[in-house]
Amino acid sequence: MKARSSLEREFLEKWRKGLQIGKEDSTILERKDAIKLSADVAIAATKNAATHWRRALLCDVVSENPTNKHVVEHILGHKFKNTATRLTACSRRILRISQKRRQKAAPRRVVPKSRKRNRSRALRMLVPGGEEMDGVLLLQETLDYIVSLRAQVDVMRCLASIG
Amino acid sequence: MEPGLEGPQLQFRSAEMGCAFDDFHGLISTPQLTAASSFTALLELAPPQAVELLVTEDFPAKQPPPPPPIFPTDIGLIHRASKFSVFASADNSLETNTILSVSNSLAVKQEELDADSRRNSYSPADSDQSLKSGKRKEREKKLKESNKKSKSKAANEPSDNGGAEELPYVHVRARRGQATDSHSLAERARREKINARMKLLQELVPGCNKISGTAMVLDEIINHVQALQRQVEFLSMRLAAVSPGIDFDLDSLFTVNGSSNDNSYSGMIAPPICTEGQLDGARQLQLQQLWHCDELQQPVWARETDTSNFIAPANSLLSYDSTSANSGKPFAPRCTTS
Repeated sequence: MKARSSLEREFLEKWRKGLQIGKEDSTILERKDAIKLSADVAIAATKNAATHWRRALLCDVVSENPTNKHVVEHILGHKFKNTATRLTACSRRILRISQKRRQKAAPRRVVPKSRKRNRSRALRMLVPGGEEMDGVLLLQETLDYIVSLRAQVDVMRCLASIG
Repeated sequence: MEPGLEGPQLQFRSAEMGCAFDDFHGLISTPQLTAASSFTALLELAPPQAVELLVTEDFPAKQPPPPPPIFPTDIGLIHRASKFSVFASADNSLETNTILSVSNSLAVKQEELDADSRRNSYSPADSDQSLKSGKRKEREKKLKESNKKSKSKAANEPSDNGGAEELPYVHVRARRGQATDSHSLAERARREKINARMKLLQELVPGCNKISGTAMVLDEIINHVQALQRQVEFLSMRLAAVSPGIDFDLDSLFTVNGSSNDNSYSGMIAPPICTEGQLDGARQLQLQQLWHCDELQQPVWARETDTSNFIAPANSLLSYDSTSANSGKPFAPRCTTS
Protein backbone atom coordinates (compact mmCIF):
# COMPACT_ATOMS: atom_id res chain seq x y z
CA MET A 1 0.00 0.00 0.00
CA LYS A 2 1.31 3.38 -0.88
CA ALA A 3 0.41 4.98 2.41
CA ARG A 4 2.20 2.30 4.33
CA SER A 5 5.38 2.49 2.33
CA SER A 6 5.51 6.26 2.69
CA LEU A 7 5.16 5.83 6.45
CA GLU A 8 7.92 3.23 6.39
CA ARG A 9 10.18 5.48 4.38
CA GLU A 10 9.64 8.35 6.76
CA PHE A 11 10.38 6.08 9.70
CA LEU A 12 13.54 4.79 8.07
CA GLU A 13 14.87 8.27 7.40
CA LYS A 14 14.23 9.46 10.91
CA TRP A 15 15.65 6.31 12.41
CA ARG A 16 18.84 6.72 10.46
CA LYS A 17 19.07 10.31 11.62
CA GLY A 18 18.81 9.20 15.21
CA LEU A 19 21.36 6.44 14.82
CA GLN A 20 23.91 8.81 13.42
CA ILE A 21 24.11 10.50 16.76
CA GLY A 22 24.91 7.22 18.54
CA LYS A 23 28.10 7.36 20.50
CA GLU A 24 30.46 4.48 20.82
CA ASP A 25 28.44 1.83 22.67
CA SER A 26 30.42 -1.01 24.10
CA THR A 27 27.85 -3.49 25.26
CA ILE A 28 25.13 -5.10 23.28
CA LEU A 29 22.54 -3.90 25.73
CA GLU A 30 23.60 -0.32 25.27
CA ARG A 31 23.50 -0.71 21.55
CA LYS A 32 20.10 -2.30 21.72
CA ASP A 33 18.83 0.54 23.85
CA ALA A 34 20.17 3.09 21.45
CA ILE A 35 18.62 1.32 18.49
CA LYS A 36 15.28 0.97 20.24
CA LEU A 37 15.33 4.57 21.37
CA SER A 38 15.99 5.86 17.91
CA ALA A 39 13.33 3.60 16.48
CA ASP A 40 10.68 4.65 19.00
CA VAL A 41 11.42 8.33 18.64
CA ALA A 42 11.43 7.97 14.89
CA ILE A 43 8.05 6.26 14.78
CA ALA A 44 6.66 8.88 17.13
CA ALA A 45 8.01 11.65 14.95
CA THR A 46 6.19 10.47 11.84
CA LYS A 47 3.18 12.48 10.70
CA ASN A 48 4.49 15.49 12.56
CA ALA A 49 3.84 13.98 16.01
CA ALA A 50 0.22 15.01 15.78
CA THR A 51 -1.61 12.28 17.66
CA HIS A 52 -1.95 11.80 21.39
CA TRP A 53 0.10 8.65 21.68
CA ARG A 54 2.97 10.12 19.71
CA ARG A 55 3.26 13.09 22.01
CA ALA A 56 2.91 10.87 25.06
CA LEU A 57 5.63 8.55 23.79
CA LEU A 58 8.02 11.42 23.26
CA CYS A 59 7.26 12.74 26.72
CA ASP A 60 7.95 9.34 28.24
CA VAL A 61 11.22 9.04 26.37
CA VAL A 62 12.42 12.43 27.53
CA SER A 63 11.30 12.04 31.12
CA GLU A 64 12.92 8.62 31.41
CA ASN A 65 16.38 9.90 30.59
CA PRO A 66 17.04 13.59 30.09
CA THR A 67 19.97 12.89 27.80
CA ASN A 68 17.52 11.52 25.27
CA LYS A 69 16.21 14.96 24.68
CA HIS A 70 18.85 15.89 22.15
CA VAL A 71 18.14 12.73 20.20
CA VAL A 72 14.50 13.67 20.12
CA GLU A 73 15.21 17.16 19.00
CA HIS A 74 17.64 16.02 16.34
CA ILE A 75 15.09 13.67 14.86
CA LEU A 76 12.20 16.06 15.17
CA GLY A 77 14.16 18.93 13.78
CA HIS A 78 12.82 21.44 16.25
CA LYS A 79 12.74 22.14 19.96
CA PHE A 80 10.66 19.74 21.98
CA LYS A 81 8.56 21.19 24.77
CA ASN A 82 7.87 18.75 27.52
CA THR A 83 5.23 20.83 29.20
CA ALA A 84 1.45 20.88 28.81
CA THR A 85 1.26 17.50 27.12
CA ARG A 86 0.43 15.45 30.18
CA LEU A 87 -2.48 16.11 32.47
CA THR A 88 -1.91 16.66 36.13
CA ALA A 89 -3.11 14.08 38.64
CA CYS A 90 -6.07 16.21 39.62
CA SER A 91 -7.36 16.75 36.14
CA ARG A 92 -6.84 13.09 35.38
CA ARG A 93 -9.06 12.20 38.32
CA ILE A 94 -11.73 14.57 37.09
CA LEU A 95 -11.62 13.01 33.66
CA ARG A 96 -12.00 9.50 35.03
CA ILE A 97 -14.90 10.49 37.26
CA SER A 98 -16.78 12.02 34.36
CA GLN A 99 -16.16 8.88 32.33
CA LYS A 100 -17.55 6.69 35.11
CA ARG A 101 -20.65 8.82 35.32
CA ARG A 102 -21.18 8.52 31.62
CA GLN A 103 -20.85 4.76 31.78
CA LYS A 104 -23.44 4.49 34.54
CA ALA A 105 -26.13 5.96 32.33
CA ALA A 106 -25.73 3.19 29.75
CA PRO A 107 -27.87 0.03 30.01
CA ARG A 108 -26.54 -3.32 31.11
CA ARG A 109 -24.66 -5.45 28.63
CA VAL A 110 -24.18 -9.19 28.27
CA VAL A 111 -20.53 -9.20 29.28
CA PRO A 112 -20.16 -7.85 32.81
CA LYS A 113 -18.80 -4.35 32.88
CA SER A 114 -15.91 -5.23 35.16
CA ARG A 115 -14.28 -7.46 32.55
CA LYS A 116 -14.67 -4.85 29.87
CA ARG A 117 -13.18 -2.25 32.14
CA ASN A 118 -10.23 -4.51 32.87
CA ARG A 119 -9.64 -4.91 29.19
CA SER A 120 -9.84 -1.24 28.48
CA ARG A 121 -7.47 -0.64 31.37
CA ALA A 122 -5.04 -3.16 29.90
CA LEU A 123 -5.26 -1.44 26.54
CA ARG A 124 -4.70 1.92 28.16
CA MET A 125 -1.50 0.68 29.74
CA LEU A 126 -0.24 -0.61 26.42
CA VAL A 127 -0.89 2.45 24.32
CA PRO A 128 1.35 5.34 25.35
CA GLY A 129 -0.65 8.08 26.98
CA GLY A 130 -3.69 5.87 27.18
CA GLU A 131 -4.71 6.72 30.72
CA GLU A 132 -6.04 10.09 29.77
CA MET A 133 -8.19 9.03 26.87
CA ASP A 134 -11.86 8.23 26.85
CA GLY A 135 -13.33 5.22 25.08
CA VAL A 136 -13.74 6.69 21.64
CA LEU A 137 -10.34 8.36 21.55
CA LEU A 138 -8.67 5.25 22.91
CA LEU A 139 -9.89 3.11 20.03
CA GLN A 140 -8.87 5.71 17.51
CA GLU A 141 -5.40 6.04 18.95
CA THR A 142 -5.04 2.28 19.16
CA LEU A 143 -5.81 2.07 15.47
CA ASP A 144 -3.14 4.54 14.55
CA TYR A 145 -0.70 3.01 17.00
CA ILE A 146 -1.11 -0.47 15.54
CA VAL A 147 -0.52 0.82 12.04
CA SER A 148 2.65 2.62 13.09
CA LEU A 149 3.94 -0.32 15.13
CA ARG A 150 3.43 -2.57 12.14
CA ALA A 151 5.42 -0.25 9.93
CA GLN A 152 8.18 -0.12 12.52
CA VAL A 153 8.34 -3.90 12.83
CA ASP A 154 8.35 -4.38 9.08
CA VAL A 155 11.24 -2.04 8.52
CA MET A 156 13.27 -3.46 11.38
CA ARG A 157 12.68 -6.96 10.20
CA CYS A 158 13.75 -6.09 6.68
CA LEU A 159 16.91 -4.58 8.04
CA ALA A 160 17.59 -7.51 10.33
CA SER A 161 17.13 -10.01 7.55
CA ILE A 162 19.56 -8.24 5.27
CA GLY A 163 22.35 -7.98 7.79
CA MET B 1 -77.63 15.09 1.30
CA GLU B 2 -77.41 13.07 -1.84
CA PRO B 3 -75.32 9.99 -1.82
CA GLY B 4 -73.70 11.14 -5.05
CA LEU B 5 -72.24 14.14 -3.34
CA GLU B 6 -71.23 12.09 -0.43
CA GLY B 7 -69.32 9.66 -2.55
CA PRO B 8 -66.24 11.79 -3.13
CA GLN B 9 -66.49 13.16 0.39
CA LEU B 10 -66.48 9.69 1.81
CA GLN B 11 -63.57 8.77 -0.32
CA PHE B 12 -61.67 11.79 0.83
CA ARG B 13 -62.48 11.22 4.45
CA SER B 14 -61.51 7.61 4.31
CA ALA B 15 -58.16 8.57 2.95
CA GLU B 16 -57.75 10.87 5.91
CA MET B 17 -58.74 8.37 8.57
CA GLY B 18 -56.39 5.69 7.45
CA CYS B 19 -57.45 3.19 10.06
CA ALA B 20 -60.89 2.45 8.71
CA PHE B 21 -59.82 2.83 5.14
CA ASP B 22 -60.88 -0.59 3.92
CA ASP B 23 -64.19 -0.40 5.68
CA PHE B 24 -64.97 2.85 4.00
CA HIS B 25 -64.08 1.47 0.64
CA GLY B 26 -66.57 -1.29 1.23
CA LEU B 27 -69.14 1.22 2.29
CA ILE B 28 -68.60 3.38 -0.75
CA SER B 29 -68.90 0.51 -3.14
CA THR B 30 -72.33 -0.48 -1.75
CA PRO B 31 -75.30 0.59 -3.86
CA GLN B 32 -77.06 3.83 -3.28
CA LEU B 33 -79.84 2.21 -1.34
CA THR B 34 -77.52 1.95 1.53
CA ALA B 35 -76.21 5.46 1.21
CA ALA B 36 -77.96 6.55 4.30
CA SER B 37 -76.69 3.57 6.18
CA SER B 38 -73.18 4.33 5.03
CA PHE B 39 -73.50 7.80 6.36
CA THR B 40 -74.62 6.48 9.69
CA ALA B 41 -71.85 3.94 9.52
CA LEU B 42 -69.52 6.81 9.01
CA LEU B 43 -71.03 8.46 12.01
CA GLU B 44 -70.67 5.36 14.12
CA LEU B 45 -67.14 4.75 13.22
CA ALA B 46 -65.84 8.22 13.68
CA PRO B 47 -68.26 10.69 15.08
CA PRO B 48 -65.71 13.43 15.56
CA GLN B 49 -64.63 13.25 11.97
CA ALA B 50 -68.22 13.40 10.91
CA VAL B 51 -68.58 16.64 12.80
CA GLU B 52 -65.59 17.88 10.94
CA LEU B 53 -67.22 16.88 7.69
CA LEU B 54 -69.88 19.48 8.21
CA VAL B 55 -67.45 22.08 9.42
CA THR B 56 -64.87 22.04 6.70
CA GLU B 57 -65.07 24.04 3.57
CA ASP B 58 -62.41 22.86 1.16
CA PHE B 59 -64.25 20.17 -0.76
CA PRO B 60 -63.82 20.78 -4.44
CA ALA B 61 -61.50 18.50 -6.39
CA LYS B 62 -60.27 16.42 -3.53
CA GLN B 63 -57.83 14.25 -5.35
CA PRO B 64 -54.63 13.52 -3.53
CA PRO B 65 -53.05 16.91 -3.55
CA PRO B 66 -50.06 17.67 -5.71
CA PRO B 67 -46.62 17.25 -4.11
CA PRO B 68 -46.00 20.87 -3.03
CA PRO B 69 -48.32 20.79 0.00
CA ILE B 70 -46.37 17.84 1.35
CA PHE B 71 -43.16 19.79 1.42
CA PRO B 72 -43.96 22.19 4.25
CA THR B 73 -44.45 19.45 6.81
CA ASP B 74 -41.29 17.66 5.86
CA ILE B 75 -39.25 20.77 5.69
CA GLY B 76 -40.65 21.83 9.01
CA LEU B 77 -39.45 18.65 10.61
CA ILE B 78 -36.12 18.89 8.95
CA HIS B 79 -35.64 22.48 9.99
CA ARG B 80 -36.33 21.49 13.53
CA ALA B 81 -33.76 18.75 13.15
CA SER B 82 -31.22 21.09 11.64
CA LYS B 83 -31.46 23.34 14.66
CA PHE B 84 -29.95 20.59 16.77
CA SER B 85 -27.18 19.61 14.48
CA VAL B 86 -24.24 21.12 12.70
CA PHE B 87 -23.52 19.29 9.50
CA ALA B 88 -20.14 19.48 7.90
CA SER B 89 -21.81 20.17 4.61
CA ALA B 90 -25.01 21.60 5.91
CA ASP B 91 -26.66 22.55 2.67
CA ASN B 92 -25.98 19.33 0.87
CA SER B 93 -27.22 17.14 3.67
CA LEU B 94 -30.36 19.20 4.10
CA GLU B 95 -31.11 18.85 0.45
CA THR B 96 -30.45 15.15 0.39
CA ASN B 97 -32.61 14.72 3.45
CA THR B 98 -35.52 16.58 1.97
CA ILE B 99 -35.21 14.68 -1.25
CA LEU B 100 -34.96 11.33 0.50
CA SER B 101 -37.78 11.98 2.91
CA VAL B 102 -39.98 13.34 0.20
CA SER B 103 -39.37 10.36 -1.99
CA ASN B 104 -40.10 8.05 0.93
CA SER B 105 -43.31 9.80 1.79
CA LEU B 106 -44.47 9.99 -1.78
CA ALA B 107 -43.85 6.35 -2.29
CA VAL B 108 -45.28 4.94 0.88
CA LYS B 109 -47.17 7.18 3.19
CA GLN B 110 -48.99 9.53 0.91
CA GLU B 111 -52.35 9.21 2.60
CA GLU B 112 -51.04 9.92 6.03
CA LEU B 113 -49.21 12.92 4.73
CA ASP B 114 -52.32 14.20 3.08
CA ALA B 115 -53.96 13.86 6.42
CA ASP B 116 -51.16 15.76 8.08
CA SER B 117 -51.40 18.66 5.75
CA ARG B 118 -55.15 18.58 6.06
CA ARG B 119 -55.01 18.55 9.77
CA ASN B 120 -52.69 21.47 9.87
CA SER B 121 -55.23 23.63 8.14
CA TYR B 122 -58.10 22.52 10.36
CA SER B 123 -59.28 24.16 13.49
CA PRO B 124 -59.70 21.13 15.71
CA ALA B 125 -62.78 20.72 17.79
CA ASP B 126 -62.31 20.03 21.46
CA SER B 127 -63.92 16.64 21.51
CA ASP B 128 -61.62 15.05 19.02
CA GLN B 129 -58.47 16.64 20.33
CA SER B 130 -57.20 13.53 22.09
CA LEU B 131 -58.05 11.19 19.25
CA LYS B 132 -56.40 13.33 16.64
CA SER B 133 -53.32 14.00 18.70
CA GLY B 134 -52.98 10.28 19.27
CA LYS B 135 -53.12 9.59 15.57
CA ARG B 136 -50.76 12.45 14.82
CA LYS B 137 -48.20 11.04 17.21
CA GLU B 138 -48.43 7.68 15.50
CA ARG B 139 -47.89 9.19 12.11
CA GLU B 140 -45.16 11.49 13.25
CA LYS B 141 -43.35 8.57 14.71
CA LYS B 142 -43.65 6.69 11.43
CA LEU B 143 -42.43 9.78 9.66
CA LYS B 144 -39.57 9.99 12.08
CA GLU B 145 -38.65 6.43 11.32
CA SER B 146 -38.52 7.05 7.64
CA ASN B 147 -36.65 10.26 8.27
CA LYS B 148 -34.19 8.50 10.50
CA LYS B 149 -33.53 5.91 7.83
CA SER B 150 -32.90 8.62 5.31
CA LYS B 151 -30.72 10.53 7.71
CA SER B 152 -28.70 7.52 8.65
CA LYS B 153 -28.24 6.83 4.95
CA ALA B 154 -27.01 10.34 4.40
CA ALA B 155 -24.74 10.17 7.41
CA ASN B 156 -23.31 6.78 6.61
CA GLU B 157 -21.87 7.82 3.29
CA PRO B 158 -19.37 10.29 4.70
CA SER B 159 -18.41 7.84 7.39
CA ASP B 160 -17.77 5.11 4.85
CA ASN B 161 -15.64 7.41 2.78
CA GLY B 162 -13.78 8.74 5.78
CA GLY B 163 -12.68 5.42 7.15
CA ALA B 164 -10.32 6.26 9.96
CA GLU B 165 -11.03 9.99 9.77
CA GLU B 166 -13.21 11.94 12.14
CA LEU B 167 -16.92 11.38 11.52
CA PRO B 168 -18.91 14.56 10.93
CA TYR B 169 -21.34 15.69 13.56
CA VAL B 170 -24.33 13.36 13.13
CA HIS B 171 -27.78 14.23 14.28
CA VAL B 172 -29.35 11.13 15.79
CA ARG B 173 -33.09 10.85 15.67
CA ALA B 174 -35.14 9.13 18.34
CA ARG B 175 -36.49 5.91 17.01
CA ARG B 176 -39.88 4.54 17.88
CA GLY B 177 -40.02 3.14 21.39
CA GLN B 178 -36.73 4.66 22.55
CA ALA B 179 -36.03 7.40 25.02
CA THR B 180 -35.81 10.83 23.59
CA ASP B 181 -34.00 12.81 26.23
CA SER B 182 -30.74 14.41 25.33
CA HIS B 183 -28.64 12.20 27.58
CA SER B 184 -29.61 8.93 25.96
CA LEU B 185 -29.30 10.48 22.53
CA ALA B 186 -25.76 11.52 23.28
CA GLU B 187 -25.11 8.08 24.70
CA ARG B 188 -26.35 6.46 21.54
CA ALA B 189 -24.24 8.72 19.35
CA ARG B 190 -21.19 7.88 21.45
CA ARG B 191 -21.92 4.18 21.29
CA GLU B 192 -22.25 4.34 17.54
CA LYS B 193 -18.90 6.07 17.28
CA ILE B 194 -17.30 3.38 19.41
CA ASN B 195 -18.87 0.65 17.31
CA ALA B 196 -17.63 2.21 14.10
CA ARG B 197 -14.08 2.33 15.41
CA MET B 198 -14.30 -1.22 16.70
CA LYS B 199 -15.24 -2.34 13.22
CA LEU B 200 -12.16 -0.66 11.79
CA LEU B 201 -9.98 -2.31 14.40
CA GLN B 202 -11.53 -5.65 13.59
CA GLU B 203 -10.52 -5.26 9.99
CA LEU B 204 -7.02 -4.23 10.93
CA VAL B 205 -6.15 -6.94 13.42
CA PRO B 206 -5.86 -10.33 11.72
CA GLY B 207 -8.34 -12.96 12.74
CA CYS B 208 -10.86 -10.66 14.32
CA ASN B 209 -13.47 -10.90 11.62
CA LYS B 210 -14.80 -14.20 12.84
CA ILE B 211 -15.02 -13.20 16.47
CA SER B 212 -18.34 -11.82 17.60
CA GLY B 213 -18.59 -9.56 20.59
CA THR B 214 -16.49 -6.58 21.39
CA ALA B 215 -14.89 -8.10 24.47
CA MET B 216 -13.11 -10.85 22.56
CA VAL B 217 -12.07 -8.44 19.88
CA LEU B 218 -10.54 -6.21 22.53
CA ASP B 219 -8.61 -9.20 23.80
CA GLU B 220 -7.27 -9.84 20.34
CA ILE B 221 -6.30 -6.23 19.93
CA ILE B 222 -4.43 -6.24 23.22
CA ASN B 223 -2.61 -9.40 22.22
CA HIS B 224 -1.69 -7.92 18.90
CA VAL B 225 -0.30 -4.73 20.40
CA GLN B 226 1.69 -6.70 22.97
CA ALA B 227 3.08 -8.94 20.26
CA LEU B 228 4.13 -6.00 18.13
CA GLN B 229 5.86 -4.31 21.04
CA ARG B 230 7.73 -7.49 21.89
CA GLN B 231 8.79 -7.85 18.29
CA VAL B 232 10.26 -4.39 18.38
CA GLU B 233 12.29 -5.36 21.43
CA PHE B 234 13.62 -8.53 19.89
CA LEU B 235 14.39 -6.95 16.58
CA SER B 236 16.32 -4.14 18.17
CA MET B 237 18.31 -6.67 20.19
CA ARG B 238 19.00 -8.62 17.06
CA LEU B 239 20.09 -5.56 15.19
CA ALA B 240 22.36 -4.67 18.05
CA ALA B 241 24.03 -8.04 17.71
CA VAL B 242 24.31 -7.90 13.95
CA SER B 243 26.78 -5.11 13.85
CA PRO B 244 28.85 -3.61 16.64
CA GLY B 245 29.66 -0.52 14.68
CA ILE B 246 26.18 0.70 14.15
CA ASP B 247 27.05 3.93 12.47
CA PHE B 248 28.91 2.89 9.40
CA ASP B 249 27.47 -0.58 8.93
CA LEU B 250 23.90 0.42 9.11
CA ASP B 251 24.51 3.29 6.77
CA SER B 252 25.37 0.98 3.95
CA LEU B 253 22.53 -1.30 4.95
CA PHE B 254 20.12 1.57 4.83
CA THR B 255 21.07 2.50 1.33
CA VAL B 256 20.49 -1.07 0.24
CA ASN B 257 17.28 -1.28 2.17
CA GLY B 258 15.89 1.95 0.84
CA SER B 259 15.76 0.58 -2.66
CA SER B 260 14.24 -2.74 -1.76
CA ASN B 261 11.86 -1.62 0.93
CA ASP B 262 8.79 -2.19 -1.16
CA ASN B 263 9.51 -5.76 -2.10
CA SER B 264 7.63 -8.65 -0.68
CA TYR B 265 9.14 -10.68 2.05
CA SER B 266 9.96 -13.64 -0.12
CA GLY B 267 12.55 -11.53 -1.80
CA MET B 268 13.93 -10.20 1.44
CA ILE B 269 14.54 -13.46 3.21
CA ALA B 270 17.93 -14.23 1.79
CA PRO B 271 19.94 -16.53 4.02
CA PRO B 272 21.81 -14.15 6.28
CA ILE B 273 25.48 -14.33 6.85
CA CYS B 274 26.19 -17.01 9.34
CA THR B 275 28.63 -14.99 11.32
CA GLU B 276 26.14 -13.96 13.92
CA GLY B 277 26.13 -15.24 17.47
CA GLN B 278 24.66 -18.60 18.24
CA LEU B 279 21.12 -19.24 19.27
CA ASP B 280 20.07 -19.87 22.76
CA GLY B 281 17.61 -22.73 22.99
CA ALA B 282 15.34 -21.19 25.56
CA ARG B 283 15.19 -17.93 23.72
CA GLN B 284 14.26 -19.68 20.53
CA LEU B 285 11.36 -21.41 22.23
CA GLN B 286 10.19 -18.11 23.65
CA LEU B 287 10.36 -16.47 20.30
CA GLN B 288 8.46 -19.29 18.70
CA GLN B 289 5.71 -18.84 21.22
CA LEU B 290 5.63 -15.21 20.33
CA TRP B 291 5.29 -16.04 16.66
CA HIS B 292 2.33 -18.30 17.22
CA CYS B 293 0.37 -15.34 18.50
CA ASP B 294 0.89 -13.44 15.33
CA GLU B 295 -0.31 -15.54 12.46
CA LEU B 296 0.59 -13.11 9.75
CA GLN B 297 4.24 -13.17 10.42
CA GLN B 298 4.44 -16.81 11.27
CA PRO B 299 5.57 -18.16 7.91
CA VAL B 300 8.18 -15.45 7.68
CA TRP B 301 9.57 -16.19 11.09
CA ALA B 302 9.51 -19.92 10.50
CA ARG B 303 11.80 -19.47 7.55
CA GLU B 304 14.09 -17.32 9.57
CA THR B 305 14.50 -19.74 12.43
CA ASP B 306 16.51 -22.13 10.35
CA THR B 307 19.05 -19.69 9.16
CA SER B 308 19.03 -16.77 11.56
CA ASN B 309 20.45 -16.46 14.99
CA PHE B 310 19.26 -14.71 18.04
CA ILE B 311 20.66 -13.01 21.01
CA ALA B 312 21.31 -14.89 24.16
CA PRO B 313 19.77 -13.64 27.40
CA ALA B 314 21.47 -11.04 29.51
CA ASN B 315 23.65 -13.36 31.58
CA SER B 316 25.35 -14.98 28.72
CA LEU B 317 25.52 -11.70 26.92
CA LEU B 318 28.08 -10.37 29.28
CA SER B 319 30.33 -13.31 28.75
CA TYR B 320 29.73 -13.04 25.04
CA ASP B 321 30.69 -9.42 25.11
CA SER B 322 33.85 -9.89 27.00
CA THR B 323 35.01 -12.51 24.58
CA SER B 324 34.16 -10.39 21.60
CA ALA B 325 35.81 -7.33 23.05
CA ASN B 326 38.96 -9.27 23.73
CA SER B 327 39.14 -11.03 20.48
CA GLY B 328 38.15 -8.04 18.42
CA LYS B 329 35.84 -10.13 16.35
CA PRO B 330 32.14 -9.30 16.58
CA PHE B 331 31.03 -12.88 16.64
CA ALA B 332 32.31 -15.65 18.78
CA PRO B 333 31.62 -19.38 18.75
CA ARG B 334 28.84 -20.79 20.95
CA CYS B 335 28.71 -18.73 24.09
CA THR B 336 28.58 -20.35 27.47
CA THR B 337 25.34 -20.11 29.32
CA SER B 338 25.79 -19.39 32.95
